[in-house]
Amino acid sequence: MKIISTPEKLCKGHYLLHIECAEDCLPGQFVSFKLGRFTDPLIRRPFSIFNKNGNDIEVVFKENGRVTSMLKNMTDFSDVDVSGPYGRGFTVTENENVLLIGGGVGNAPLHYLSKVLKTKNNSITFIYAARSQEFIYCGDRFCTESNEICYVTDDGSFGDKGFAADKLKSVIAKTKFSRAYICGPTIMMKSCAEILIKENIPLEVSLENYFGCGIGICSGCSVDTVDGKKRACVEGPVFDGSKLLWQYL
Amino acid sequence: MNLSVKIGSLTLKNPVTVASGTAGYGEELSAFYNLSEIGAVITKGLSLKPRPGNSGNRIIETPSGILNSIGLENVGIEKFLSQKLPFLEKQNATIIANAAGHSIEENVELCRILSAEKKIHAIELNVSCPNVKEGGIAFGSDIQLMRKLLTEVREVCTLPLIVKLSPNVSDITQFALCAEECGADAVSAINTLVGMKIDIKRKTPHFNNKVAGLSGPAVRPIAVRMVYQIFEKVSIPILGLGGISNVEDALEFILAGARAISIGTMNLVYPVRAAEIAEGLSDYMTENGIDDINDLVGYAHSSGISPQ
Repeated sequence: MKIISTPEKLCKGHYLLHIECAEDCLPGQFVSFKLGRFTDPLIRRPFSIFNKNGNDIEVVFKENGRVTSMLKNMTDFSDVDVSGPYGRGFTVTENENVLLIGGGVGNAPLHYLSKVLKTKNNSITFIYAARSQEFIYCGDRFCTESNEICYVTDDGSFGDKGFAADKLKSVIAKTKFSRAYICGPTIMMKSCAEILIKENIPLEVSLENYFGCGIGICSGCSVDTVDGKKRACVEGPVFDGSKLLWQYL
Repeated sequence: MNLSVKIGSLTLKNPVTVASGTAGYGEELSAFYNLSEIGAVITKGLSLKPRPGNSGNRIIETPSGILNSIGLENVGIEKFLSQKLPFLEKQNATIIANAAGHSIEENVELCRILSAEKKIHAIELNVSCPNVKEGGIAFGSDIQLMRKLLTEVREVCTLPLIVKLSPNVSDITQFALCAEECGADAVSAINTLVGMKIDIKRKTPHFNNKVAGLSGPAVRPIAVRMVYQIFEKVSIPILGLGGISNVEDALEFILAGARAISIGTMNLVYPVRAAEIAEGLSDYMTENGIDDINDLVGYAHSSGISPQ
């Protein structure tokens, strides 16, 4: 596996990369990058899969630290070690009415999920949340895969004004869904999960917490669930949202 | 050519092991290489009862290293013996069980149970755990407390006993000497260094436990120094570890006095690395006409000139 394109800027702080990958990837799984042959930066970083087309994987990343700042300026990827796919992905249902809720860069894995769900004859409603218009990327591509897409921004600069949870309330008041999928900042996922749990709508969430190894060795990414601690990198990153102990996340 | 080394009565086929807490119970690493290719697998630190470990943040990268506050999460001795040990045995791994009890009684009981298990080849005792019965001071940072612990453990431990020393002391050689006097077969050096990270946005410590263990290449020069100093004070073998990332690093430890070495943090980055280093040591010996790896152990003490 290797990176085969230089990062393309999609919107403020968000970039897209192409990776050559012959492996099968499930929506919600991730790939991991080790930058450079030396020991700084040291540990691998996980990146969710935005799209897969044949042997071409697309990854959308947000500049939010040293590794992603380095990555966005790179032109030579010969010293980037890419591995994966890893982790437990989303459940792909058939013939259902499903709701996808993404926040910021967390919309990325839901794009690949919506594409796969569409091939299984599901009806897809997508809530795309972002801070403001300048943080929205690939809007047209999300539209293609969804039956209905609702944008919501914190400042109302694009779509409705408000948070994902506000939009969620109004959407589920009108339509009945058999399942919801969420990926985004913890606070956003938590507020959406509370609503969905109350409404008895099954939900799957993809966590974005800090990983140590990404392959289950170090237990650095463990989260509290009703069944005890679970490693987000191997027993997740997708979890049944009703089983997570949200107060500890 | 001989790559095998002895730790007490235990022979390792080569000096390369994987460090406790960076190899799980071998299951994940076995996807990357055959566990019998390396000298030994050292398990996660075991306790009598399962330990859930710490909540909140558990790991973060630092310059050329990581801070961890996992909190010795493990499945407990019972589940280890019934569910994890059979797998390691099937892989033909040489198995060193790490005991990480939080009282003298717990460590004694762990060593007694592990010693009765024929499939386990040695015990590594983590003395960096806090002694919860006496104010929470780590066994490995108080020489009287460590002597008491090791004396009692040695009585029940019939397997080769390796004492994993804490570097968070003013003179690690005194603790190595103490281990030797108490009948330890070897010492491993070093465990993680106590470090800390402050979250400047929240203005609080990053970890719930406030402090955390620093490991990785950042600590390597300290670890090499400590292994070198211990070698001058004791005659029992030293298992050297601390940021080893390649064959050159492994050789540094061996030349400083390590009979065997452990790969720790680098297992998280390159899971296959321990097997590569074992192979790399063999290549190094062939290229340099060295017949026995043991000839290199502590060589930096006898001469500033490299052999041959």
